[in-house]
Amino acid sequence: MASESERQGGGRLTHGVGLPLRRMPYWFIIILIFFLVTFYTIFSSEDYRDTLSFIAEGLVFTILITVIGYAIALVVGLVIGLGRVSRNPVIYTLATLYVEVFRGVPMLVIIYYARFVIVPWVATDLLNQPQILRNDLLIGAIPLALGYAAYMAEIYRAGIESVERGQNEAARSLGMSHVQTMRYIVLPQAIRRILPPMGNEFIAMLKDSSLLSAIGVPELTYWGRNRIAATYNTFLGWNTVAFLYLILSLILSLGVKWIERRSGSGHH
Amino acid sequence: MDTTNPTEPVETETIVHTLGKTIIQMEAITKRFGELVALDTVSLEVQRGEVLMIIGPSGSGKSTLLRCINYMEVPTSGRVTVDGIDMSRRRVNINKVREEVGMVFQRFELFPHLTVLENVTLAQRIVRKRKSGDAGEVAHDLLRKVGIPEKANNYPAQLSGGQQQRVAIARALAMQPKIMLFDEPTSALDPEMIKEVLDVMLELAREGMTMVVVSHEMGFARAAANRVVFMDQGRIVEMGEPDQVFDQPQHERTQLFLSKILH
Repeated sequence: MASESERQGGGRLTHGVGLPLRRMPYWFIIILIFFLVTFYTIFSSEDYRDTLSFIAEGLVFTILITVIGYAIALVVGLVIGLGRVSRNPVIYTLATLYVEVFRGVPMLVIIYYARFVIVPWVATDLLNQPQILRNDLLIGAIPLALGYAAYMAEIYRAGIESVERGQNEAARSLGMSHVQTMRYIVLPQAIRRILPPMGNEFIAMLKDSSLLSAIGVPELTYWGRNRIAATYNTFLGWNTVAFLYLILSLILSLGVKWIERRSGSGHH
Repeated sequence: MDTTNPTEPVETETIVHTLGKTIIQMEAITKRFGELVALDTVSLEVQRGEVLMIIGPSGSGKSTLLRCINYMEVPTSGRVTVDGIDMSRRRVNINKVREEVGMVFQRFELFPHLTVLENVTLAQRIVRKRKSGDAGEVAHDLLRKVGIPEKANNYPAQLSGGQQQRVAIARALAMQPKIMLFDEPTSALDPEMIKEVLDVMLELAREGMTMVVVSHEMGFARAAANRVVFMDQGRIVEMGEPDQVFDQPQHERTQLFLSKILH
């Protein structure tokens, strides 16, 4: 490791683990310092501790909504992504329509639309179960899932199209059906390649879930705003909210980097 | 021909071909890609047990012709009949026909996410519906036959080109096909690996497999093929026994082509 970076760095000053000084992740160090300062402030200040415990519930809700929304988007996105590569013109057109509509509408508008148009209609008129409207987890996860399904469908499509045509031909020449070829040959290779961008979508969804505060879903931002309304301390309140989002997305992006490295050094 | 050519199989005994009735029949096949006419009313028959070699300059339509046999390319017009089944009929299940027609590609096209063993067993299990134990047995036998039994649990990327192509042949043979199609099987290989692949193909020919081979391996053609087809500009220009086509080509275009590739 060290000898390799020396060769690359051509005798430049190197850090202990072998990174040239110039390429140290200074941004990370700055954030680390920010973390330490924030931690210190939180645990030395009564106000911060109160704020944190007040919005902790929202933090759990944010994570729950993101996990559920992401799981739905993974499945819906796959179905639409498969539709985008379908040779059936009807399926292709429907899938493309979905992608274009949901990518063309801002997330916040999707959230309003789902909350005040689609979900009430489905819940009361179709299913006759108006209590769904009081299920904040569902109300929050559905619009995120619908919007992100469109983005993820495009990632699936790109992944599927990145698998060489010869792979498809080899599978079909062995008598595999189109569906078998997708299931056993194309998708496994495609999914391996799209893991990093899919991880980034999770982080993006986590951040976008803050928009749900606009329709009163009790997630992190919502609780933060309530806290500020009660204490009038905007600086302290938004600091805490921003800090919590940042800590979550940084941990996740480290996870994505790890996946990226692993999928890059795979067996092909 | 230069006898020190490393690509020429050492095998000198000629293979006796016992021919059966027609297994592939192509009638007036035309294939257009937009404006380009890749195949121009080509007709060809292959008998059971035959080893047919297709040669010709690049863009002559030889690969397209081969790919029309298992409908990897759908002809624009004309009729392909494989083992008595008319491929152009709407009701025909193309996948069923393809189970009987193995194909080997220039760039191997092994499945990179599967081990060698899984490459050879997958289609047996999901298409032929064989039990995994039975499929494994067939696979191990075939890997022994192509000379790489020890690589069963490796991934394709860990194999040399020649080994990958031999696995690809084993993968196709695992379906127990009646016909094997080879699309330039040695052109992506380093010279020292060509022989190991040709030896496997020679062995197949000796066993009486019906083979259609697009390749310029003259040594293999002389040793194993009973017929050579020369194609140019989407048409069959000349057809005959290997010695006849290579030593006394009748057509001017064949002579010109051979003079270029034989130096």
